[in-house]
Amino acid sequence: MKQTPLEEKITAKMQPGVITLNGFLGEDDRHYHAIIEEDEKVLEALGFTAEVIADRLEYFTKGSFGSYEGPILIDDIYEVETDVTRGRLPCPFSHPGVYRKTVTGLINLNNGLSIRWSGLSIHLIRAHHFFEGRGSTFRLEPELLVKAIF
Amino acid sequence: MLAHILSDIAAASAISSVLAIALVVARKYLNSYGDCRIRINDKRDLVVKGGNSLLSSLSEKGIFLASACGGRGSCGACKCKIDHGGGPLLPTEKPLLSVQEQKDNIRLACQIKVKMDMQIALPEAVFNIRKYKAQVIEITDLTYDIKSVTFQLLDPGEIDFKAGQYVQLETKPYARIKQTTMRAYSIASRPEDRDQIELIIRLVPEGICTTWVHKYLQVGEQVNMTGPYGDFYIRDSKADMIFIAGGSGKAPIKSMLEHLKVTGTDRHMVYFFGARTEKDLYLTDLFKSYEQVFPDFQYIPVLSRCDDGAEWCAKTGYIMPYIKEVLRDSRNTEAYMCGSPGMLEACKKELLALDVPNDRIYFDSFS
Amino acid sequence: MTISPVVLFWAAIFTSNILLSNFLGMCSYLSVSRELESSLGLGVAVVFVLTLTCALNWLVYYYLLIPMNIIYLQYIIFIIVIAATVQLMELVIERYTPALYYTLGIFLPLITVNCAIFGVALFMVIRKYSFIQTIAYAAGSGLGWLLAILMLAAIRIRIREKAIPAGLRGAGISLIVTGIMALAFLGFSGIVTVQ
Repeated sequence: MKQTPLEEKITAKMQPGVITLNGFLGEDDRHYHAIIEEDEKVLEALGFTAEVIADRLEYFTKGSFGSYEGPILIDDIYEVETDVTRGRLPCPFSHPGVYRKTVTGLINLNNGLSIRWSGLSIHLIRAHHFFEGRGSTFRLEPELLVKAIF
Repeated sequence: MLAHILSDIAAASAISSVLAIALVVARKYLNSYGDCRIRINDKRDLVVKGGNSLLSSLSEKGIFLASACGGRGSCGACKCKIDHGGGPLLPTEKPLLSVQEQKDNIRLACQIKVKMDMQIALPEAVFNIRKYKAQVIEITDLTYDIKSVTFQLLDPGEIDFKAGQYVQLETKPYARIKQTTMRAYSIASRPEDRDQIELIIRLVPEGICTTWVHKYLQVGEQVNMTGPYGDFYIRDSKADMIFIAGGSGKAPIKSMLEHLKVTGTDRHMVYFFGARTEKDLYLTDLFKSYEQVFPDFQYIPVLSRCDDGAEWCAKTGYIMPYIKEVLRDSRNTEAYMCGSPGMLEACKKELLALDVPNDRIYFDSFS
Repeated sequence: MTISPVVLFWAAIFTSNILLSNFLGMCSYLSVSRELESSLGLGVAVVFVLTLTCALNWLVYYYLLIPMNIIYLQYIIFIIVIAATVQLMELVIERYTPALYYTLGIFLPLITVNCAIFGVALFMVIRKYSFIQTIAYAAGSGLGWLLAILMLAAIRIRIREKAIPAGLRGAGISLIVTGIMALAFLGFSGIVTVQ
């Protein structure tokens, strides 16, 4: 596939070891545009927008940010825990700015679903509608995600 | 006929050559900036070849600014004040600079090309930063996810740092990773040991450098690092001291206490170490023993989850409620904190509420 | 061939838009139109380069190629001039306006192979434009191209989340959109004709 230099740069930054250990694409051999477009279709069928999901994820991460010693309960049914590591990561889409290294884990006590995401995931979803490639450490399947956090 | 072809080719070639020569000449004039003089703090002059970034021009001359991203303009660590010769603010810098910083001529050294004589201001401490070649001489497991790594400095053979400062370790390519990365770690050993340094490194999920240290780094291997960086060190006063740390945040506090052990002190000191469970505690005996070394020191591990029968169940939950118990005179208290940003924020809030002055709460800046 | 340069300028933008009526410069038009910001960057770069290279190519054609009787080499020479100009502009922009360089930077080299630029150079020869006419036509064509790519980018962002048949996603729907845009622009064609 023909790529602009910017797209080439973005794809390169998504490789393992450039920004994160295992990269953003996982085992997925699709182009990141294809990943974004397919997830957008799924989201639309589910009736959610990426912005709403990002807001929701941010709500949980913020709510549990001070909980450095174990999970806390949010809205009675979400057990949430955020692990903050020092340092910040840039966005692979060459967006300016850096994002805190946080990993938030959430367990929905109603249906037992558990998911986890990073601080960068929230930005990737909000600004780029990017849920990462299949097999990537922080891949979030939109269907599962929606079931877990709403 | 042949003459025709040849003359046409010659004409076309001539046009191309003229353009090529024009380009070469343009490049020579446009792309070379000659020697540029960088005046630092109005007293030191460096002469560098123009055309490179300020960050790399300075590091060529042995002046190392902090840079976590290696000059890619994403970490914002290499901020410095440029009074003259920096050119207009670039779109790549803007997001990393606050409005106040933009007003104060603060720029990112990695994004600015040296194109003319410049005037810049750097903190004095920067001139002490060197690039070190070092060899791993010992790797010890402290907990299931924290290792202590000791390095022998090879070239230069000695480092001069303040207890609490950090170095930046450069990873080598490993496994699927093809490039080097710089990450910051606090020095855990005392500054009196000038030829060796110890780092305490916790394995971070998805961490490029910590995975390398934990899974790939071997005793005997040679690595590069730069340092020392940071303004997290003990202030010389008579005030009471509260240390708060969690996880690998123990490293700088360890360095500080070992340094104080050498110089001697009678200041009132309390050290809270926040951990999740008993298996996250480490070097407990060492710090407990300091209660005998110093006239007025207390080491208090605070566990958030306490299994029955565990030894350290005296204090459980968060650290915050226990701070009040040890405060004597809050206006005359200094706090030194190192740990996860979530913990730091919560503890800072508590300290401020207890009337500890904001400018006496210190924590290291690479969070 | 005595069309006023002003008329030519507007005609190049609307009635004979280089992209929507001649379908030139399609590859970068399709591949860069995913985001508004980069579309604008590339579009502005095209305006710059197009105007500059056409003026240069006009001089080269009338003062070098014709006197030397090597008009048949115009294709090669034009491309060389375009490539050299792009390189030169990159150097100048980097030196004097680094901020603009970062905005355009990656798009500049891409322009060397944009066929709209070459196409305009050939039109100027075929239609025997004067120097002033050439500049007006080139600037207009550049702006027309900028307009077209901005419109496509805006539309693509709007239809991104709509239910488009899988086979038509990406280039397919973009070509259909472009076709409809071209039809819409046909509405301008009664105003003035430039051929």
